[in-house]
Amino acid sequence: MARKTFTVGWLYPDLMNIYGDRGNILTLLKRAEWRGFDARLVELERGTTHGIEDVDVFFFGGGQDREQALVYEDLLDSKQPLLERAVAGGAGVLAVCGGYQLLGHYYLTADGDRFPGIGLIDVRTEAGKRRFIGDVVVDTDMADLHPQTLVGFENHSGRTYLGPKARPLGRVRMGFGNNGEDHTEGCLQGAILGTYLHGSLLPKNPHLADHLIRSALERRGIKDLAPLDDAAEIAAHQQILARAHRG
Amino acid sequence: MRRAAAVWAGKATGALSRISRLGGGTTLPGDVARAIDPDVLRKLSRDLKHGAVVITGTNGKTTTARLIGWLLEGAGYSVVSNRAGANLIFGATAAALERAGADGKLKVDWGVFEIDEASLERAVDEIQPRAAIVLNLFRDQLDRYGELEAIAKRIEAALRRLPDSSRAILNADDPRVAEIGMNLEQPPLWFGLDDPSVAMSGLPHAADARTCPRCGASLVFDAVYVGHDGVYRCPNGDFARPAPDLAATHIDLKGFESLAMGVSGVRIELPLGGLYNCYNALAAFAAGVTLGLDSAFIADRFRTFRAAFGRQERLDAKGRGLNLVLSKNPAGFNETLRTAVDLAGGKNFLIGLNDKKADGTDVSWIWDVDFERLRGRAQVVVPAGNRAHDLAVRLKYAGVSAAPPERDPARALDGLIEATPEGETAHLLCTYTAMLDLRAELVRRGWAKPYWDT
Repeated sequence: MARKTFTVGWLYPDLMNIYGDRGNILTLLKRAEWRGFDARLVELERGTTHGIEDVDVFFFGGGQDREQALVYEDLLDSKQPLLERAVAGGAGVLAVCGGYQLLGHYYLTADGDRFPGIGLIDVRTEAGKRRFIGDVVVDTDMADLHPQTLVGFENHSGRTYLGPKARPLGRVRMGFGNNGEDHTEGCLQGAILGTYLHGSLLPKNPHLADHLIRSALERRGIKDLAPLDDAAEIAAHQQILARAHRG
Repeated sequence: MRRAAAVWAGKATGALSRISRLGGGTTLPGDVARAIDPDVLRKLSRDLKHGAVVITGTNGKTTTARLIGWLLEGAGYSVVSNRAGANLIFGATAAALERAGADGKLKVDWGVFEIDEASLERAVDEIQPRAAIVLNLFRDQLDRYGELEAIAKRIEAALRRLPDSSRAILNADDPRVAEIGMNLEQPPLWFGLDDPSVAMSGLPHAADARTCPRCGASLVFDAVYVGHDGVYRCPNGDFARPAPDLAATHIDLKGFESLAMGVSGVRIELPLGGLYNCYNALAAFAAGVTLGLDSAFIADRFRTFRAAFGRQERLDAKGRGLNLVLSKNPAGFNETLRTAVDLAGGKNFLIGLNDKKADGTDVSWIWDVDFERLRGRAQVVVPAGNRAHDLAVRLKYAGVSAAPPERDPARALDGLIEATPEGETAHLLCTYTAMLDLRAELVRRGWAKPYWDT
């Protein structure tokens, strides 16, 4: 019998990849591979949707303004309907920073221009003056996460606000999070997870990586993931927690 | 009077800083003097007999500045330069102060200043250089510098303010630098590599600036040399790499030992390794020619060059060779790894990652470095620095077996030396302050000299 596959879909790997986003991709692929899956990567550049129907987890990272403007048209014209169909079918999505903003309703610039997003998640973003930069520690109440903390690094001037359909990924213990006002960070809506955390996010949060893998595989009747030795990942996670305590 | 007071106050601060061992006295005197006379650098720069050169770009500033200084000194000129990577306006000011005389005047022929990308506008205004070099633009410390695009715009604004008599010397192989040059009124002097035999098979992960500035299409690369630097064109014909005025051909690389290349009919040989140093040597060659030096003289002088602090610095430790190579961003790290593993056949490594302000507090960039290159080839890899644990995770996901992470520089060094067989070389690839920490330990052990003496 052929090995079970696990497929990661990277949206715009050439243009939306500025914050070490490859770390998230590698973590998803390796953790599936170490469990015996045939882990595959589908790169979804502009102009291609080939293989999008096979994707278990999508990753949508951050880009510079110039690059973000370039992917925008392609996202609306060609990827959006297919992405919506995949999500309706149970595929997971991890969207970081620019990708997080683009999946929401809109981005309002400082000059009052409104750039519509694709509205897959109930969030909206407004430009802020001050850039939020630094380490972040989040306390989450997601049931299957142990430890119940997430660590990462944020670097954004957008202020994201959640609507009633989205719930926060957690509350910031250190850092600014979604908007620097309500202490929330990120959002969860169905199988879509949006966040400002990079660093990269998943390597130091292997429990979150496993959450994404497990959620996407459930639709195929796979419920349990074999445990892995996460000593190195958790040590790096703990280091950031220890710094947060020292202040 | 104000200038003399500023110069003296700056000089006193520099002396105190060195005596008290706070550091090399490389920038603090600049702060003090500029507080007394904000125009002090402008005035000192006017004293320079022949003028100045400024060098900017993400990687290679220090080496290029040092190469140009080496050429000018070899031609019998006196040179003032900001060494040891002190490349903000304060560092340049401090360097000028140190060489000023008792009358507050600078009696030196040439100034050679490496300038941080974000400080270039101010430096151009105050120094009024004869030539300005832009080496490359790679992603680097996004937490501190912001996006590449913003940096590129500031560099362009700075170059627009160059005096009419001065020349911009630009890397044609870097798409974002080329875009800057094409927007200038005065045509720049373009340099680039022309040797497909040293090209990589494709773009690395951390490639930026790879879309056409006119139509947004992804650029097609016919050759990739370093990062996103290479020979590129827009598939719609809207943009292409400018033809270099000075091109390096017939490149020959020998590990960390040396490089050789042909430029304008002369053969350059330099005791520095790595393809990235071909760009630095070519930029220095271009500057030398622009400032009136003879190309045969340049080639001859290059043969006896010595590297700057932490840039391919070689030491001996208990019968093991240590090769210190500053590696501070994805493009730089990929190149030093490529040189160490592919060209020098390196087997023993210490990788040092710090997240202090000078290194960048965001370490996510390590995921853009191709540490996979070490897999199956390195026998010793010691993850070090205050973010050694992040490195350990990165190496794990690269499939590289490594020693346990060691944050303490002394213990990391012990581990490296113990694991490195006698007679072999260990390569220490570190971010800026991780290198300072390690070097301080090497100095304590008497294996290296303090950096302000080198």
